[in-house]
Amino acid sequence: MSTFYEDVQKIRARYPEGSRSASLEALRLAQVKHGYLSREAFEETADALDVTPAFCYSVATFYDMFHLEPVGTHTIEICTNLPCGLCGAQKVVEAFEEELGIKAGETTEDGNVTLRAVECLGGCGYATVVAVDHRYRQHVKPEDAAEIVGSLDA
Amino acid sequence: MSDLVKVTIDERTVEVPKGTGIVETALAAGIEIPVFCYEPRLGDPVGACRMCLVELEGVPKLQTGCTLLATDGMVVKTARTSAKAAAGQNGTLEFILVNHPLDCPVCDKGGECPLQDLTFRYGPGNTRMQYEKQTFEKPIPISPTISLDRERCILCYRCTRFSSDVSEDNQLVAANRGAASVITTFEDLPYTGAFTGNVTELCPVGALLPTQYRFEGRPWEIVDVPTVCGLCPVGCNVNVTVREAKVKRVQSRNHFEVDEGWICDKGRFGFTHLRAEDRLTAPRRHHHEISWDEAVAEAERLLAGARGRIVTALSGSETVEQAYALGKLLRAGLDSHQAMLPEEISGALDGFRLPLSAIRDADAVVVLGDVPVVERAPVVDLWIKSARRKGAKILDSVSAVGDAERVVLVGSGLSAAAVAGHAEKLGLSGREGCGAFHLPEAPNGRGVADAWAACCDDEGSEPESIGVLVVSGDEAAANPNVRALAEQAEATIVISMFELENWSPDLLLPGTSYLERDGTFVNLEGRLQRLRRTATPPCPDELEWIAELASRFDVDVAPYAAAVFAEVSEKVYGGLSFGEIGERAPLRGYPEATGAAVAAAPAEKEPQPGQGEVRLVAYKPLFSGAAVERVPELQFQRPQAEVELSAEDAGWRNIETGDMVTVGTNGAAITLPARVNRRLRKGVARVALEHANGLGGVVELSRATEEVSA
Amino acid sequence: MPEAQITTLLGGTEDHDLTKFSEYQAIGGYGKGLERARAMSSDELIDELQKATLRGRGGAGFPMGRKASLIDRKSAKPKYLVVNADESEPGAFKDRQVMATVPHRLIEGCLIAAHAIESTDVFIYIRGEYLTEYEILAGAVEEARKAGLLGGVEITVHRGAGAYICGEETALLESLEGKRGQPRPRPPFPPIAGLYMAPTQINNVCTIATVPLILDMGAEAFAKTGVPSSPGTAIFSVSGNVVKPGNYELPLGTPMRELIFEHAGGIADGRELKCVIPGGSSVPALTPDQIDVPLDYDSLGAIGTFFGAASLIVVDDRCCMVQLALRSTKFYMHESCGKCTPCRVGTRWMVQILESIEAGTATRADLDLLENVGDNILGKVLCALGEFAVYPVDSYLRKWRKEFEAHVDGGGCPFHGESSLEGILAPSDMHHMHRLEVLV
Repeated sequence: MSTFYEDVQKIRARYPEGSRSASLEALRLAQVKHGYLSREAFEETADALDVTPAFCYSVATFYDMFHLEPVGTHTIEICTNLPCGLCGAQKVVEAFEEELGIKAGETTEDGNVTLRAVECLGGCGYATVVAVDHRYRQHVKPEDAAEIVGSLDA
Repeated sequence: MSDLVKVTIDERTVEVPKGTGIVETALAAGIEIPVFCYEPRLGDPVGACRMCLVELEGVPKLQTGCTLLATDGMVVKTARTSAKAAAGQNGTLEFILVNHPLDCPVCDKGGECPLQDLTFRYGPGNTRMQYEKQTFEKPIPISPTISLDRERCILCYRCTRFSSDVSEDNQLVAANRGAASVITTFEDLPYTGAFTGNVTELCPVGALLPTQYRFEGRPWEIVDVPTVCGLCPVGCNVNVTVREAKVKRVQSRNHFEVDEGWICDKGRFGFTHLRAEDRLTAPRRHHHEISWDEAVAEAERLLAGARGRIVTALSGSETVEQAYALGKLLRAGLDSHQAMLPEEISGALDGFRLPLSAIRDADAVVVLGDVPVVERAPVVDLWIKSARRKGAKILDSVSAVGDAERVVLVGSGLSAAAVAGHAEKLGLSGREGCGAFHLPEAPNGRGVADAWAACCDDEGSEPESIGVLVVSGDEAAANPNVRALAEQAEATIVISMFELENWSPDLLLPGTSYLERDGTFVNLEGRLQRLRRTATPPCPDELEWIAELASRFDVDVAPYAAAVFAEVSEKVYGGLSFGEIGERAPLRGYPEATGAAVAAAPAEKEPQPGQGEVRLVAYKPLFSGAAVERVPELQFQRPQAEVELSAEDAGWRNIETGDMVTVGTNGAAITLPARVNRRLRKGVARVALEHANGLGGVVELSRATEEVSA
Repeated sequence: MPEAQITTLLGGTEDHDLTKFSEYQAIGGYGKGLERARAMSSDELIDELQKATLRGRGGAGFPMGRKASLIDRKSAKPKYLVVNADESEPGAFKDRQVMATVPHRLIEGCLIAAHAIESTDVFIYIRGEYLTEYEILAGAVEEARKAGLLGGVEITVHRGAGAYICGEETALLESLEGKRGQPRPRPPFPPIAGLYMAPTQINNVCTIATVPLILDMGAEAFAKTGVPSSPGTAIFSVSGNVVKPGNYELPLGTPMRELIFEHAGGIADGRELKCVIPGGSSVPALTPDQIDVPLDYDSLGAIGTFFGAASLIVVDDRCCMVQLALRSTKFYMHESCGKCTPCRVGTRWMVQILESIEAGTATRADLDLLENVGDNILGKVLCALGEFAVYPVDSYLRKWRKEFEAHVDGGGCPFHGESSLEGILAPSDMHHMHRLEVLV
């Protein structure tokens, strides 16, 4: 088992010495390890990249895929941009909100599922696109919400 | 020099070197292009604020003046002559002000605010923004010395660029994206570092402000006095803001060869030591306050009884004039020639002199010694960083210099003679762009030593016993060696700004601060610079009573710095007059450079640490000393009680940051938390002097055992 | 023997699983074209690419061969080829299909393009959300490496992390350098000082994946396909209210009406066509009477819009144009990098005005204000993102002005809650996603 530090060094080795190109991938690893980018996650990433935690924080807050707050074990992300929106994405959002008993942007009380509305996922021809744990489900209809939620492990 | 090109701006044609920025080119034509984010000292322009929009002939879209470079035949129209540019600029300024709280009446920046000034000059008279502005909690202390008002912030990114590209501390950053972007530190931790305060001067609005200056003055109530900082051997040029005879603020006064307009937080925020609670204002005989007349009489009595047996402990923070006056009194008047300084002063590097700015242009900079440069001469660290950004190699050994052309040595923690030895060996003397610096501890050691040497031609021998020990300045008074000497002396006279800890000498005379003195300092480059009195001290200035005392021994000492300087100058500075020193002093060759006469000193052989051992460097931190100790808002900057270790030394001992370690030798040991510093050399450990408990040199290092840490 | 010459980007995918190295090779992949390219000198290859007059498929339509010729090949620094696979434009999903179905064609294109600029370092910057596509592409690179086909070229697939702006080439470079993806001022231009301040060529996925076809067919043959000003095929992404949304690879110059009404099956649910946003959500929209236009760079430019990402969002008559404008602007506000003032401040201001119009609290003067705020963004920003926010809104405002006026005159949305975008949530509505409390 390699340590987080060693894993980050391997990523750094893909890029020219002295560059910070490994930062996104290192933050992604830290997010997997810590569940979200906690203070400890930033400090560990900064040490491995030889930068400051503030630098890592600054970078992470620029990108939508980094979580600065604890998130659920599973994430359900619904595209609500124009093409999906025109095809009824809001109804899909509402179906998931009802199924999970939370609003978009929230996490279920048991910490199992986080529901988010997201910008265009690049599946516009297959509306509505829902990323379930980062894997795309396409042509999702409101009536699919129950099946999708049911398929997630508790 | 380089090719000149013709550029036409608003129908005025100017010639500038090719590649000159258009903002500067316009200035050469007498035309202002307003800017917010543009600041050449922060590196390449970023084109963020869009205030400098101009029309460039042949290009349909407006261009940012800050990112344009002069080429021959370029025709530029600014908002003065182009309706399109004017409309663009108005639109930009309207955007900049859309979320601004427009609270100038209660803003400390009011009256000296670029945003306010440019709004008056270029802005629309009203706003079309009728919706909710962005609001933030405000002001937020981003450290005890700096507050942040996010509503006033226009996100020009000057501060974050300073943090990432100048001081390279990477602590002040932008977070989030788009309209949600804010300036912040990590987890709201205080912005810590040697140079943080510079962001308050870079900020073109009232967003980042020094807390010490909050509600303390308005531009029409203040006077800026030009002087130099006296807290370290760099001698940064500063402007001291004075209101009603009180120092309210210290700002940089860009000397492009010395400091490039950056100053450290000690120099910027340390001034409140002037008003410390334990500041001495009246003389004392033992515990009892006495009048100045009594004090001078007492000094006369003590000195007269010790003729030829007076020893002086200097701090190296006296002005040239004070040192000369005191020296003349004691040497010419009382035949007592012996004085000591906290460190050896040497002219060994006089043949390798360069302005500090030459570091930036070097191909290789060799930092010799293990005392962190930033702790000793902070701005030198910025010059070295700037060199690295420009592509210079930063080395820790002369052996790696290779075929680099412009080589600069910086000695931090070894003697000037040792640095000179290396410089000789490398043949740096007289080579273009090459030179060497030694970073001393005292701010004016060289000036004091030269003045002391010049004030009298006689020489005396070391007295058999010390009749009177004269201790000049707080640094000398705090020196344990000086304290030990005082034990042997029959009587002691101490000049000090502040109360002494556990010591009441026979005579205690209140001293002044560098901010209260007129006179001169010689910095680590050998540059003679002018100090000005910015505030009236709460006691007579040293020259005043030294002159009076000198008259009692028939020694002629003038009570004015200018007159004393004239006398010193005849002997040391080639007759230069006080007035000729200049506002931004050039690097002169005074005293005559003697580098060629200095023999190459052998490199110092340091004892090498053996197995299980490290060489412990106990350094004097930047944030330490009498002035810093008396500034409550600087306490957060003082070093942690911890030992820094290299990754190698920590690795095989299985030590991680935060683990307790014991360092020591022959029974004396300290146990402190470890901090693993991957940039530290193997075999070296570092600890701040105040946590070293007298330890230093080769020591054993190990993980703390339970018994020791208990 | 390989089958018939393949002349389309997605060619071969009907009968083969081209994610597999062996199948791609079986249809002639990594074959004649690559050999031809490698036999050429860098200058000859750039000439060949210039002759093909392939225009970049990323949006701006800059000729690919010209771009390669601008690379400072004399520089002592390494030269980089960067593939922009950060497809994030609402309406666009063609790069994703290319990476998912013909990854080896993209890799082969990288090898040829890298050879042209004497580069041995290729970075493919793929948007972070495309996880499956990343795995396919990274796997394909591994296969090509094992097969010894990379010829000393290192191809690194680099994942983004969710930021539309990283599709802008200089922001992409910043992000690839591990920083916040904020665009750089130009000059210096990437061919002189790009990635790590070294000469860098940046091309879109479809552009690079087309390169093997050029080398297979020969530049002259390629230049004769499509229309003269825009040779080759393009993959058109069609989304929104059509019967058969999806990707359609067609020659450039195909009429828009044919694409919408024949290939994509016309308007769904028996509704009427109201509006087409032809290049992804960032370009000026067209009215139903404007769709008899050939789909190529110049023809679309002539009627005041852009080819853009060749991605058509088809909007039917159930949609409120104010809501369309508002949701679109919220996206660009959310994605604004925050670096330059007009975009950062202006997009938020536009959202506020549009919200007020939709709520019925605005006046006719606010319509002029909206237009004027847009004017103050156009042409004054550091990169195109701010303009992308303005172009569509400006077109809605001009072409559907009556609908905007109905909102302000009637004190609310004339669709009375029946618009297809009614209540649509945007990520920027979820404030607490940011740790710092900011009232956006």
